[in-house]
Amino acid sequence: MATTESKGLMIFFYCFIAVFSIICLIPFVLAVSGSLSTEARIAAEGYSFLPRGFSLETYQFLFGSKAEQIIRAYSVSLLVTALGTVSAVLVTTAYAYVVSVKGFRFKNVLAFFAYFTMLFSGGTLPWYLLSTKYYHLNNTLIGLFVPYLLNVFLMFLMTNYFRSIPHEIVESAEIDGAGHMRIFFSMMIPLGRVGLVTISLFYALQFWNDFYLPLMLVSNQELYTIQYMMYNMMANIQFLASGNAAQVSGAIIAPPLETAKMAMTCLTVLPIAILYPFLQRFFVRGIVVGSVKG
Amino acid sequence: MKKNRVWLSLFLTFAFLLSACSSGNNGSANTNAGSKEESASESAGSLAPAKLTIVLYGDETNRMKELAKTEFYDVIKQEINAEVEFQFLPWSEYAGGKTDLMLSTGEDFATYTDINYMVKSVAKGVYADLTPYLDTAPDLSANVDEASFTAFQLGGKQYAIPVGNKPNSAEFYSVLVRQDLLEEVGMTSVSSLAELEEFYDKVHAIHPELIGYASTDARRMLLYDYTDKNLYWQNEFIALDESAEDDQIISWFESEDFKKYAGLMHGWYQKGIIPKYAATNTPQLQSDWNSGKAIFWAGTAARPFEGAATISQAVPEAKLANYFLGTGRPKISRGTYSTAFFVSSAAKDPERYVMFFNLLQKNQELYDLFAYGIEGTDYTLDENGRLTKINNDALIPDWLLMNKNFIRFDNSVPEDFIAEYKAWDDGAIISKGAGFNFDNTPVKNEETKLNGVFTEYLAPIGSGFVDYDEVYPKALEKLKAAGLDKYIAEYQKQYSEWYAKHN
Repeated sequence: MATTESKGLMIFFYCFIAVFSIICLIPFVLAVSGSLSTEARIAAEGYSFLPRGFSLETYQFLFGSKAEQIIRAYSVSLLVTALGTVSAVLVTTAYAYVVSVKGFRFKNVLAFFAYFTMLFSGGTLPWYLLSTKYYHLNNTLIGLFVPYLLNVFLMFLMTNYFRSIPHEIVESAEIDGAGHMRIFFSMMIPLGRVGLVTISLFYALQFWNDFYLPLMLVSNQELYTIQYMMYNMMANIQFLASGNAAQVSGAIIAPPLETAKMAMTCLTVLPIAILYPFLQRFFVRGIVVGSVKG
Repeated sequence: MKKNRVWLSLFLTFAFLLSACSSGNNGSANTNAGSKEESASESAGSLAPAKLTIVLYGDETNRMKELAKTEFYDVIKQEINAEVEFQFLPWSEYAGGKTDLMLSTGEDFATYTDINYMVKSVAKGVYADLTPYLDTAPDLSANVDEASFTAFQLGGKQYAIPVGNKPNSAEFYSVLVRQDLLEEVGMTSVSSLAELEEFYDKVHAIHPELIGYASTDARRMLLYDYTDKNLYWQNEFIALDESAEDDQIISWFESEDFKKYAGLMHGWYQKGIIPKYAATNTPQLQSDWNSGKAIFWAGTAARPFEGAATISQAVPEAKLANYFLGTGRPKISRGTYSTAFFVSSAAKDPERYVMFFNLLQKNQELYDLFAYGIEGTDYTLDENGRLTKINNDALIPDWLLMNKNFIRFDNSVPEDFIAEYKAWDDGAIISKGAGFNFDNTPVKNEETKLNGVFTEYLAPIGSGFVDYDEVYPKALEKLKAAGLDKYIAEYQKQYSEWYAKHN
């Protein structure tokens, strides 16, 4: 009895999830098909699931006129994601280790400092002042990832993970004469691999998708990331369409073509979309790891 | 092994420190470049070298980037001995966002503004007072209307320098019509609301896929049909009657005129002249217009040629023309400026900024350079001075610079249209409210609440999405509760004081 019931429930859930994922997929399919359509037919007939008048013109146009810029933005994005993830993981695990060490007197204070920033923040203005006037992060490559080096949530995730490693292992290492450096690099990091992969993925995704830091800190086009290029384009269209443009004296600026917008979207999403299915299992596994303590 | 780890972590720390210092290196590299250039410019006379940052909104094109480092750089250096850095921000940051942050954190820059943003920012003290430096912009003063300067004064002080001088009276008071469709259905012109609707019906019969009006606001173009007054709006709530010589303001939403207007719009909405999706997806309207899927739009003097370029990508045979739905009321102008530049109060050398603005409107040669680029490389001129662009990259946005003394038209614009454009402002009057800036501090709360009520109730009534009789009583109640009376009284008080002083 119980099994048939749960079977029925399972079928229901599967159907539900299938419908839900189709709904999520629709915009993406429309974007891909839009980017492969011809501009004239999109303008005349609107979007459809299959490309209208299949053509690669838009991509040729994008790469023809903006190739250099797109490639640069791509490489900045990649660089920021790589550098950002490596340094953020390093900083985060180090902090998490310190907070998780048994017998360290100030660990609770440190944990509280981090926790405090989750509840309260100084706001944008002081942040901007600090970043530009004191740390001079504007228009530098490091400005694109340094402000995000410590994500407190991920730090606590990692702390929990470290705590789930049996203390005896650490103890025996200590008896063998290992210092904190040795314990951290030779024991904790290898044992915490799954947690490490999880937070790396979170960070990588965050750095790849970020457009806020370039918006705030970068004016030099050479440091634009691909997401910011995209944001820039969308923000301009939004503004011109909103009617606020009339305040700037009826400025008419030809908005970018519909198909170009879609092609940019595809270019931005592509790497993540390709990688995600392969990496996704780490997300799930990583989040529950450390949540159950024996 | 342990030593290795220590070294590794030391190395990483060092690497971080090093990369953190690289910003400092950039700084010194720039100063080197500066000193190299110093000796180069003699014609800028005794001026000390200066560095200026000009923020522009929109996309930076490749050509703009190139010119900013070469010709623009050289010319500006030579003229006013300054190095100008052009920074581009997305339009979402205009009059707020990062612009606000940059102002409040005391960055040294200049960019353009509208009157609303100016009033807000001056209250915060983040705009520099430019009155003392006006003398350093003689060419700009000669080429820009005096009334445009007054518009950007507060308490007798000049807080922003207007640029541009173009016929822009009666903005949105005309109907911009697809002339090609008009001719297709056998009509030649449109001169009344009845004819406009006839035009719509005829086109709709042949092309049911086209929408009628590509906007949700037609209070200006329909003026001739619902009132005898010559209304000019100060904001969403307040209008002036330009045909009366008094200081009375009109509470727009409480007027009979609004009722009649809402009725007309509701008719349009029901008839489908305004598409059903307009209520939920307003941005789509302009996209439709741009892709040639709409029959008419609100017109301005320049829209027939500014807009034609966009539409012709989708509909090559499209032609545009302006018509008024009535006659006998003078066109109203808010001033002929395009926009105005302010300088942040933290700027070290506001005077030099003003000198830079002067260059933008100084003479034909500089105008051509900033708006169109280099002759032969970016554009060519024929014997009539008509422009053909070789390179379509936008430079300093030409809508911003647009000055009727310097503007060049391209070959596709007919001669009679240019004549019409140049004569557009003939007989126009400057609004009696031009130069008045409302100080909203006493009624700030009321204003915020009123804006909420406007979006929720009045905008849909005004666009005809809902029936006036059904919704208006509730809307009025909400307006009163939000403090409409207090707001109107405060506005009237300030306006009367100002009016008495200036008349």
